[in-house]
Amino acid sequence: MSVINFDFRNEVISHNASLSYCYQCATCSGACPVALATAGKYNPRKIIELSILGLQEKLIEGADVSIWLCSTCQTCVELCPQEVELTEIFTLIKNRAFEVGKIPEGFQLQGQAIIDNGVAIPYSKAIESRRENLGLPMVKTAPVDEIKTILKETNFENNILKVGK
Amino acid sequence: MAYDVFLGCVIPARLPYLEASARKVFTRLGIQLNDVEGFSCCPDPTGIEQIDHKTWLALGSRNLSLSKNKNGGIISFCSGCVETLKGVNYYINKDSEAMKEVNTILKKVGKKYDGKTKVKHFAEVLYENLAKVRKNVTTPLYGFKVAIHYGCHYLRPSEVIDWDDPFEPKTIDELVKALGAESIDYDMKMECCGNPVEKTDKDLSLLLIDNKLKSIQDAGANCVVVVCPACYQQFEFNQRELNKKNNTNYDIPIFYLSELLALAFGIKPEEIGLRFHRVKPNALFESTGFIKEG
Repeated sequence: MSVINFDFRNEVISHNASLSYCYQCATCSGACPVALATAGKYNPRKIIELSILGLQEKLIEGADVSIWLCSTCQTCVELCPQEVELTEIFTLIKNRAFEVGKIPEGFQLQGQAIIDNGVAIPYSKAIESRRENLGLPMVKTAPVDEIKTILKETNFENNILKVGK
Repeated sequence: MAYDVFLGCVIPARLPYLEASARKVFTRLGIQLNDVEGFSCCPDPTGIEQIDHKTWLALGSRNLSLSKNKNGGIISFCSGCVETLKGVNYYINKDSEAMKEVNTILKKVGKKYDGKTKVKHFAEVLYENLAKVRKNVTTPLYGFKVAIHYGCHYLRPSEVIDWDDPFEPKTIDELVKALGAESIDYDMKMECCGNPVEKTDKDLSLLLIDNKLKSIQDAGANCVVVVCPACYQQFEFNQRELNKKNNTNYDIPIFYLSELLALAFGIKPEEIGLRFHRVKPNALFESTGFIKEG
């Protein structure tokens, strides 16, 4: 049985009022490259419908959560006749999922790399010498402590620790 | 014009040869690129933004605050970085609460950001200098049948990127033609490469790139050009895997736009590390007579 979460529904609408403009025409799903490739297993119209209905569980915690399959190509956003900002709404939902530790491992790994290095890919010795051979300058990236301070402030570091727990 | 160069994560730390070609091309064009210390991950609009919008705004604003170049602003060789930096500007300029919140966070590290740093994609700057590009072509790329992959974040959301047409773009087509190459139309030209879904579903990601490569092969293109390192990896790193998995015979060289310019400007393949490509362009060079073997 599905439980309606009105607080969740209201939060999404107050964050992005364009959600309530959707009249379920499915222009988004028709143009979505992932919907096409997955024969509709990923269905942006359906995700918007679940959001309007406030079915938070189905979007974040259920066994058939598909919101993470969005490729962020933004085709739906460009084409929506009602100017619903689908990607922004999906981002909000994924952000809520992150707060309860429900994100795919690939996202966690990237987050942890940035906590550890300030950048998503650390510089290996091999790459540094390859850069030198190509005549490229040394890159001085952000001080890790400074980035960590920001990531503590936004609670990012804490939320990453929750993933998979 | 001078720009502060924002390298991002993938190009400098994994694909530095792409950076080498871009820097050489800009030097040829007389456009100055200044290196700035202290940038972090942009952060990734297909990764960090998806899980934490506030962190995305804060780190993005910190990066933008480091550019003191009030004329040109920032240039990046990566479509993801450009989308993030333009997107952060877009959000904090339309939402004063977000701007305030970001600056409260930045204050903890002694920084502040006013939302005013300009951001450009390197292809945007090349297009603005199209006449100069034409003038620098010494070895035209005759016989190169190029399948252009614009990629999603180079174009959309158009309200944020505010640049080429989101569905009928022309900028890279014109640049490619200016080099003496041909732009080949193919069915899946405007489709996503599939890289962002790799974090969730590797097989789906492979299916998306397989569909594109098939369409490119069917159209008779002999190489691909991209302007984003995520697309580049998706196209180049997966060909061998797909061939093993599906018995396909993909062997399509993938070029960065800057590499095509460098080659057309007469810069030698060894100067831009073309040997680091996994799919070697040798057969293309021979068949087009671009570089004779031996």
